[in-house]
Amino acid sequence: MNKRTMIVSLVVALLLVAAAGTVWAGGGAEREAVYPSRTVSVTVPWAAGGGTDRVARFWADAFQQELGVPFVVENRTGGGGAVGHSAGARAAADGYTITMVTFELATLQSMGLADLTYAGYDYILQMNEDAASVIVRADSPYQSIQDLFDAIEANPGQVSFSGTAVGGVWDLARVGMLLEAGIDPDDTLWIPSEGAAPAITDLLGGHVDVITNSLPEAQSQLEAGNLRALAVMSDQRNPAFPDVPTLKEQGIDWSGGTWRGFAVPAGTPENVRQVLVEAGEKIARSTEFENFMADAGFGIRLRLGDEYAEFVENEHYTWQTIIREIGF
Amino acid sequence: MVELFVQVMHPSILFPWFMAMLFGIFAGATPGLTATMATALIVPISYYMSPLAGLAMIIGATFTAIFAGDIPATFLRIPGTPASSAATLDGYQLTLQGKGGYALTLDLICSALGGLMGVGILIFVAPPLAQLALRFSSAEYFWLGLFGLSMSAVVSKGNTFRGIIAACFGLLVSTVGMDVTTGHPRFTFGQLDLLSGVGFIPAMIGLFGLSEVLKLVSNRDALRQPSIASAVKISLRKALPVVWRHKFTVLRSGGIGTVIGALPGAGADIAAWVSYGMAKKFSRNPDKFGTGADEGVIAPTSANNAGLAGAWIPALVFGVPGDSITAIVVGAMLMYGLRPGPLIFEQSRELVNGIFLIAVLTQFMLIGVGLLGIKAFGRILQLPRNAVIVIVLMFSIVGSFALQNSIFDIYIMIAFGIIGFYLEKNDVPLPPLILGLILGPMVERNLRVGLVRTQGDFLPFLTRPVSSVLAIALFITLFGGPILGLLRRLLSKYAAKRNEP
Repeated sequence: MNKRTMIVSLVVALLLVAAAGTVWAGGGAEREAVYPSRTVSVTVPWAAGGGTDRVARFWADAFQQELGVPFVVENRTGGGGAVGHSAGARAAADGYTITMVTFELATLQSMGLADLTYAGYDYILQMNEDAASVIVRADSPYQSIQDLFDAIEANPGQVSFSGTAVGGVWDLARVGMLLEAGIDPDDTLWIPSEGAAPAITDLLGGHVDVITNSLPEAQSQLEAGNLRALAVMSDQRNPAFPDVPTLKEQGIDWSGGTWRGFAVPAGTPENVRQVLVEAGEKIARSTEFENFMADAGFGIRLRLGDEYAEFVENEHYTWQTIIREIGF
Repeated sequence: MVELFVQVMHPSILFPWFMAMLFGIFAGATPGLTATMATALIVPISYYMSPLAGLAMIIGATFTAIFAGDIPATFLRIPGTPASSAATLDGYQLTLQGKGGYALTLDLICSALGGLMGVGILIFVAPPLAQLALRFSSAEYFWLGLFGLSMSAVVSKGNTFRGIIAACFGLLVSTVGMDVTTGHPRFTFGQLDLLSGVGFIPAMIGLFGLSEVLKLVSNRDALRQPSIASAVKISLRKALPVVWRHKFTVLRSGGIGTVIGALPGAGADIAAWVSYGMAKKFSRNPDKFGTGADEGVIAPTSANNAGLAGAWIPALVFGVPGDSITAIVVGAMLMYGLRPGPLIFEQSRELVNGIFLIAVLTQFMLIGVGLLGIKAFGRILQLPRNAVIVIVLMFSIVGSFALQNSIFDIYIMIAFGIIGFYLEKNDVPLPPLILGLILGPMVERNLRVGLVRTQGDFLPFLTRPVSSVLAIALFITLFGGPILGLLRRLLSKYAAKRNEP
């Protein structure tokens, strides 16, 4: 075969492939009636390799096995979650873009970061919740949450907290706790950090007094006895940390923390959403999922469809009140 | 130990390990695919393997990727990863002189040596170094950041004034995004994409890669020539004596790299720039820097691979990651049923030893895999220039997009390409701009957070123990030379006066 015939036959082959592709895609459009019939993209507002990304990738695999089409994770990071959450809500409401929404969805608007609220989405399910906690160094003078509150009241402006960026989940959980306990949040210092890891180093190094991260984030240091948890901000004790009392047990009616779940753009057809809710419930009740969450140190909390929608709406108003109170 | 060696050499570990290293070459050499992303992509696969195989893949891929980032930086002047931005200086100059293969061979050997040094420090002195990292807080990071910024004077060859302009421009751009202490958006003009700031990687790709394309396009004669006349030559025999001659540069850079890498607030990119600056300060011919100096290639590459190893120190000792790669690793280790932190050395000694052994062996395997990578990418340079610039352009666009799946980042890349082109046309050096971009947030964040801690009091920045040492070191680097000169002049004047009758 000389060079020219080879090129010509290559071009012909390419054209054939392209034509076949068009026909195939056309056929796909006809089968659209049955959801899902093609690749679903999973928008994740946080970076690849992080906690949310890990959960999302587990679910993408599980959905793929359950529904028989590829689920592909796409990380849209930036702006403290604003970029990904906005992109996910703006996507076509056909069920082919689902978004792993996190706690930040409830605060983006109040924080002035995005013009997006809970109403931008319809909800599939929530699978995770991790409560904030109050953690100090092992040699800290504070033995109970009351000791800590007494110290703040005795020396306003001396006790420093850390855990995440300003206005992040652990910061807002701290504010909520202090307001509920009748303490002015401005009597404490919030030292912004870039996530849990630097906050834990800061606490270990004695540069801050308290962190309000979740218990699993500090697990290795808690187990090693370098850090001590005074309270967890959830309704029930964390089964992995049975010795840590809740705030409610200690007389402060406050719980708060981060959560993760799946949502589709508002206006997605009901039957499409229902397919995802049913598949999601099956996955959430599997032992694989339970093992995965236990290994990764994430708490399981299941809320399906409308129950989840109601929860996110409640969260929006809870945090809006707190954010206005402290005036970000 | 022998038993462990046999275990690590089992095909079920060796094969994925080797494949991961090849993947590392690809990810590192592709701008926009960073070592962090390589790790994130490997982790889900590794769940189906033994923990040791998973860790071998991660360690293999990351060390290879950090080296491979220097390949496009040296050949095409596009840094493959942020840690390679310093390699665009002398490495690329050597390529222009037809010595790209030599530069990368040198680079490869020093990558492996730097990595080996970092791993050695990780094995033998991890706990004390991790304790040192604990002493670092805002004030210390502030001084470290300032120290890094002072390097912009060192890296701007020629006109210092223009260097300062470039650094200030970098600092200005770095202020875009959410304010650290108030969470308020700054200079974002309502653009969601600007909330987390101007992407450093797209900016870097534009400044170096695209601006080079523009430069070539504006010169028609250059377009017709091939990039280099002959095949890329790789000669270990020529490179090894050079490495030996600069052994102290390797040692110093490896040390700086490991320590900076071990700090959770600073990473391999900063380590590379600081050791480049230090190498120039200590060099006998600092004037050669920026024109293709061997030390200019050796220093940053020794430091960034050492920094990678350094980041494992706090990750293993405290369970607190030292950079974005080890942040993913810590998550992966939890999935393997390992809990990094103070207890890991007692609970999983066997596995920790396995990690150490793999990390050491990776450095030796890196030489082989790296040479393959240099050969493969060297072919690009044999293409005519007009074909090469198309490849560079494609890499620049895809790389900027790939990082965050964001079209906006492509615009950022193009804007910085144009800015870079005009700045270089007017002899404004680009390295200080990069330093401003990387270090601006670090300096600002730590100054402001530090002031929150002290409630507005600057004194603790000077009186905290580690802080004061860093402040004095900075003072000496900035003013040591002039003060010494002044003293010498005064002394000679005094001596002259005494000699007068």
